[in-house]
Amino acid sequence: MIPFIQLFSLYVIIHGTSGPGGGFQGGVVFGASFILYIVAFDIFRGRERLPESVNMVLSSLGLYIYAGIGLLCIIISFGVAQYLNYGFLPFTTHFQENRASGIDLVEIGIGITVIAIMASIFFDLVGGEENKKVRE
Amino acid sequence: MKRLPTMAFILIGLLGALLIYVAEDIPEFGDPNSPPIKYVKLFSIYAEKVEDFLKEDVIPKSLIDQFMKRGFPRPSRVEKVDGKEGEWNAFIPKEEMHYSKEEKYYLIKKEGNKFEVFRYAFVVRWIEKGEEETGVPNMVTYGLADYRGYDTLGETVVIFTAGISVILLLRRRGKL
Repeated sequence: MIPFIQLFSLYVIIHGTSGPGGGFQGGVVFGASFILYIVAFDIFRGRERLPESVNMVLSSLGLYIYAGIGLLCIIISFGVAQYLNYGFLPFTTHFQENRASGIDLVEIGIGITVIAIMASIFFDLVGGEENKKVRE
Repeated sequence: MKRLPTMAFILIGLLGALLIYVAEDIPEFGDPNSPPIKYVKLFSIYAEKVEDFLKEDVIPKSLIDQFMKRGFPRPSRVEKVDGKEGEWNAFIPKEEMHYSKEEKYYLIKKEGNKFEVFRYAFVVRWIEKGEEETGVPNMVTYGLADYRGYDTLGETVVIFTAGISVILLLRRRGKL
């Protein structure tokens, strides 16, 4: 079941521009797949699937993608564009299509952050005593 | 001891009456012509020759004086609304700071023998120009990630902060 849920959530994130959906919704669905895995099996096997270091890296990576794209707009246009003005990104030749691709990338960034934070909060809430055993 | 419930009852009654009084003014749900969705009324004028000028797509001097007196931006040209009798759109010229193109800004409507002047709400421009400007068909997404990009960046930071706070409080028991 879990691969199907994850595939669906990726669909929601990628099609956020052309249909209903977006980074927040898709990220929550992906996080729910991890929660389902922990409920079905065990918190230790859940930690094996998503280690703590990977979780922390992912949760900040999403924000770095979002803020980095905003900064990239300023750098590439040599200070002409404002922060988060996606039209000056160099992906395509059209101003409007650049904005569309910028929106796509930003949605992916939001999605990654939401996935990691959902999983992280659930790990913390579940593992009061178990987490200590894992560390010892 | 007994006076307190009586006072509270009177206060609740007053609040309920106020709520009903205010709710009378709320437009019907889903009404596409309600002020927050379509336009806001600015003023109305009585003038005799306004209609003759407007029919030739010229803005009369009396109308421009009214705009300038109230401190609104000066319209540059008018155009008839397609398929509506007695309604005109007024455009304002481009301005380097705020508008990179000519913008549809006012709606002038004839009612009886007086003319009412409305200003279009932002939502109208959002719906009409959004897909053309961003190349994305989904209205919610271009609002979320493009027009209100700063807002969404802040929301993502809020979620990140919530996760970090839970890690600090539950996993590390408040020890940094």
